[in-house]
Amino acid sequence: MSQEETIIRFENVSKVFPGDAVILADVNISFRSGEFVSIVGASGAGKSTLLKLIYAEEIPTSGEVYFSERPVGKINRKHLPFFRRNIGTVFQDFKLLPQKTAFENVAYALEVDGRSTADINEEVPEILSIVGLGRKMHQFPKQLSGGEQQRVSLARALIHRPKVIIADEPTGNLDPVASEEIIRLLLEINSFGTTVLLATHNKGIVDKLGKRVVLIDNGRIIEDHDKSKYILK
Amino acid sequence: MNTLKLWRTFKEGKENFIRNGWLTFATISILSLSLFIVSLSFLLGTTSHLVLQNMREKVSINVSFNPDVPEERIVSIQNELKGYTKEVASVEYISREDALKQFLSESGNDPVIAQAVQEIGENPLLASIVIKAVRPDQYETIVESLKKSTFQNDISRINYEKNKKIFERLNRISETTQRVGLILGSLFIFIAVLITFNTIRITIYSHRQEFEIMRLVGASNIYVRMPFVFEGALYGLVSSVVTMIFLSVVSYYIAPYTNGAMAIGNFMDLYQHYAFFIFLTLVAFGVTLGVFSSAIAIRRYLKA
Repeated sequence: MSQEETIIRFENVSKVFPGDAVILADVNISFRSGEFVSIVGASGAGKSTLLKLIYAEEIPTSGEVYFSERPVGKINRKHLPFFRRNIGTVFQDFKLLPQKTAFENVAYALEVDGRSTADINEEVPEILSIVGLGRKMHQFPKQLSGGEQQRVSLARALIHRPKVIIADEPTGNLDPVASEEIIRLLLEINSFGTTVLLATHNKGIVDKLGKRVVLIDNGRIIEDHDKSKYILK
Repeated sequence: MNTLKLWRTFKEGKENFIRNGWLTFATISILSLSLFIVSLSFLLGTTSHLVLQNMREKVSINVSFNPDVPEERIVSIQNELKGYTKEVASVEYISREDALKQFLSESGNDPVIAQAVQEIGENPLLASIVIKAVRPDQYETIVESLKKSTFQNDISRINYEKNKKIFERLNRISETTQRVGLILGSLFIFIAVLITFNTIRITIYSHRQEFEIMRLVGASNIYVRMPFVFEGALYGLVSSVVTMIFLSVVSYYIAPYTNGAMAIGNFMDLYQHYAFFIFLTLVAFGVTLGVFSSAIAIRRYLKA
């Protein structure tokens, strides 16, 4: 497996929201397969938008985003659900379905894919025990702590064995211990070859990682360091 | 969408239905109430129609003939009247002997009366024919024709005039109830549709954040939508059952007041007679309403 192969590439990408709000301005960047990249910057810098362009929640105003050399903006909206199975997403607010148990939340991602019940009953407990929730899989989100909810969310992101995990402020709502646990899991996932894109403004986390850091400010990429420390002003 | 996925969306809808608890209860209450009002107004409308029909059937013209008119003559008049099939529903001949028997049995076979009749020595009652019209508004015409007929001189008396006012009122009541029933029924159906649509819209609004999540983890629009359509169908189905229970209870309590008022029996008998038809209609109406409301209400939350 080539570590050097480009999996995501931004080519002159700009995103302008109505009212001439420029969120991203002429961004050129690529991410290689198997990389662990932290994307940092203040709130509103454009981190989330950058990530949304990858899983086609947003479409560039100009330029093009390529996923495995496939232009994301040109994917038919009908085929979007299939495309998204290549990308696992984790968010600050967990985005779990409140009326489903941990098991059901993860299973849902397989159900929509039309996978057999036997497969689901085998794979879901497996992935939940990987994130350390084997014994709590029949609890509802409100019965779980923030860190546990985020681990359910992570399990769901992993269930399709995606090539890329996108984590948008996954530790934003978590205490330091739970945050560390999530980062540890992300690193573990990355060690198996999955590309991880982590948006955060937690200085401590990024410094400890010692991995590639991309700094965004005002919709532009200001710094891009390999194995560097993130220096917040 | 294959059958496995369809089955899953059904289970999903069923699960929403059960886990939503309070919202499900509210939706079903409102839908049941609407369906209940509509079906009750149908049943009451039918009742008033049947009660009037029953009363009309008891209405008749009694034509008594002079004592010197021979039986053959009366029978030929009877046959002549039977020919007017558009106006005359039935003509029954009651001979003097039959009239006496009937009189004695109606007076409870009182020996005093029987003796009094015997003392007269002769049957004091007249032979008569009982005419029933096809429609109540035809009685007037029939009476007029009898008065001008070739046998007008054979007639001793026609006891219609005294009932005339009652007949007229009956006609008016019948027309009014039918019109009011139609208007009220349509109004209630309209209200039921509006309330149900809005309730389901609120239900779906409360789920709006989940649609985004579902799509994010790879659910297609139809996969997001189908559970709500099934949920809507379940609302319709359960509400229909609840309505039937309400109707049974209400019928049970109304029934004693309607004994014998209709040919079919009382209100409970009427309800039982129509129960299956009402249930099917309610299910069809409720399920259609639920399905369409859900399908329309969810559209705005699903991007193309």
